[in-house]
Amino acid sequence: MAFLKKNQKTPFEGGGLVLFSEVPQAMAAEKVLKKAGYEVKLVAPPPELRKGCDLAVEINLVEQPGIERLLKEKDAACAGVLPIKAGTSELLEIVKVTDFGSWVMVKAGNMKITYNKESGVIVNISGGGCPDIPYLHTELIDKLLEEAPRPKDIGFTLCALNADRALEECLALQNGGNAP
Amino acid sequence: MMLIVGTIPSRDPLTTGKVSAEGEFLVVNGSRIPCTQGTGAMIGAALATTDYLGLEAPQALVVGDIGEGKGSREIYEYLIEKVAELSPEVLALHYWLPNMALTRRLCQAINKCARRPMMIADAASMYSAKAAGLAGEFDIFTPDATEAAFLADPDATHPAYIARHLFDTEITEAPRLAEVAYRNNSAAKLLLVKGAIDYIINDGGVVATITEPDVPELEAIGGTGDTITGLVAAFTYAGFEPHLAAIIAARANRMAGQFAEVTPATRVGQVVAQLPAVFKEYLCQWSGVRYVAGVNS
Repeated sequence: MAFLKKNQKTPFEGGGLVLFSEVPQAMAAEKVLKKAGYEVKLVAPPPELRKGCDLAVEINLVEQPGIERLLKEKDAACAGVLPIKAGTSELLEIVKVTDFGSWVMVKAGNMKITYNKESGVIVNISGGGCPDIPYLHTELIDKLLEEAPRPKDIGFTLCALNADRALEECLALQNGGNAP
Repeated sequence: MMLIVGTIPSRDPLTTGKVSAEGEFLVVNGSRIPCTQGTGAMIGAALATTDYLGLEAPQALVVGDIGEGKGSREIYEYLIEKVAELSPEVLALHYWLPNMALTRRLCQAINKCARRPMMIADAASMYSAKAAGLAGEFDIFTPDATEAAFLADPDATHPAYIARHLFDTEITEAPRLAEVAYRNNSAAKLLLVKGAIDYIINDGGVVATITEPDVPELEAIGGTGDTITGLVAAFTYAGFEPHLAAIIAARANRMAGQFAEVTPATRVGQVVAQLPAVFKEYLCQWSGVRYVAGVNS
C-alpha cells in the first residue's frame, strides 16, 4: 500500500524493559524479537531496575505476554519484564467475583469473564481495549472453562494476561465448588 | 462525515467505506464484520443511531489484528497520511495496539485538518492517548471504573499496571479519580465513566449521573461499553452537545438492555437490535427535540 511506503521514521516509545543477567542474552533476545516483527531497541536500564546486566531491551509494555512467550519458545532467557516508569512495578492481580444467580462474573484488572455455573460454559467476555480481546471473545465464548484456550497462550497483550488471570479464577471457582 | 477507526478480530486487510447492515453483519466495502464485542459493536450502535436519525451512515476504517500489532500499525499510518484529506467531523478511535509514538504523529496530522474533528477515544486508543500525554487533545473519553483509575495514575501506560490504591475502588470513586486525571492532564474534555452509575464529567465537574434503568447484567456482556461509545459518537455527529450526547447514550444503552431482557449470557447484537425501539419511545423525551425516524437528513 502506497501510504506504508511513505512511512516516516517514528522514534520508539515502548514503556517496558526486558531485563537480563548477561549482555549476550540481551543481544540475542533483541535479534529474536526483531525477526518476529516486534518494534524493540537495546537500551541501558536505570540502575535501580538492573538485574545484573547493563543492557536491556525496550519493548512496547502492552506486548509483554506475547514477547515473554516468544522468548521462552526460543530459549532466550530473560530476568524479567518491568515498566520503565517508577511506581508501576507490579502487575495488578486483584480479582473480584460477582454472582448473577446462574452465572458468575470474574473480574481481573480490566477484564471480565462470565460463565454458567451449571454447565461451566463461558458465556461472555467483557472489558479490555487491546486488539486481541475481540479475538479472545470469539475463541473462548461457548467453550467449557476446562476446554477453552488460555488467553496467555493465544493472546499477545496485557489485556490478555488479565483475561487469563480471570479464567484461572473461574476454573478455581468451578473446580473448587467455591462459586458464590 | 463520522469516521470510526479500529481493529477487528481477523487477519483481513485494511479496508474503508460507508457502513451498511446485512442481517447480523455489518458491511464495509464488501467485507462482512460481525457486530460483536469491540469495534463491530461500536459501529453497530452508531449505525443504528444514524439510520434512525436519517443521517449519513458512519464511515469505517478497519483492519484485521488479533493482537500481533501489524494491522494496528497499518491503520495508524493510513490515518496519519489521510486524516487531513478526509477531514471528518467526528473521529472515533477504538481498539488497536496502543503505540505512543504513532499516536503523537496522528495528533500532529489531525492539526492539519481544515476543521478540527470532534475527537472521541475508547479502549486502547484512549490508553495510548493518555500514555503519550495527549489526552487533552481529545473531546470525549469513555472509560469504565478501572480505566478511570488508569487515567488517574500519572505513571501508568496500561490499565494492567496501575497503583494498587487506585485500582481497588468502586464506581462511586469515579469523580475523585476524574479530578486527579484532570489535574494530571490525563483526561479528555468530557469523560463518560461507564458503570453501575454512569458519570458524565465535564472539565473535572460531574454534570450528570445516570442510574436508571438499573441493568447490572450489562457489565458482563462483551461490547456494551463499545455500544455506548458508538452512541456518543453518533449523537455528537447529529449535533448534540457532548454532555447531552453522553447522557442520551448512557440512557439508551441501559434501556436497550432492559428492552432485550438481557442476562449475563446475552450477546451485544441483541442489545444493538433494540436501539431503534428505544429511540422511538424515548429519544424525544430525552433530547427535547422531535425526531421522525429516517426523515431528518
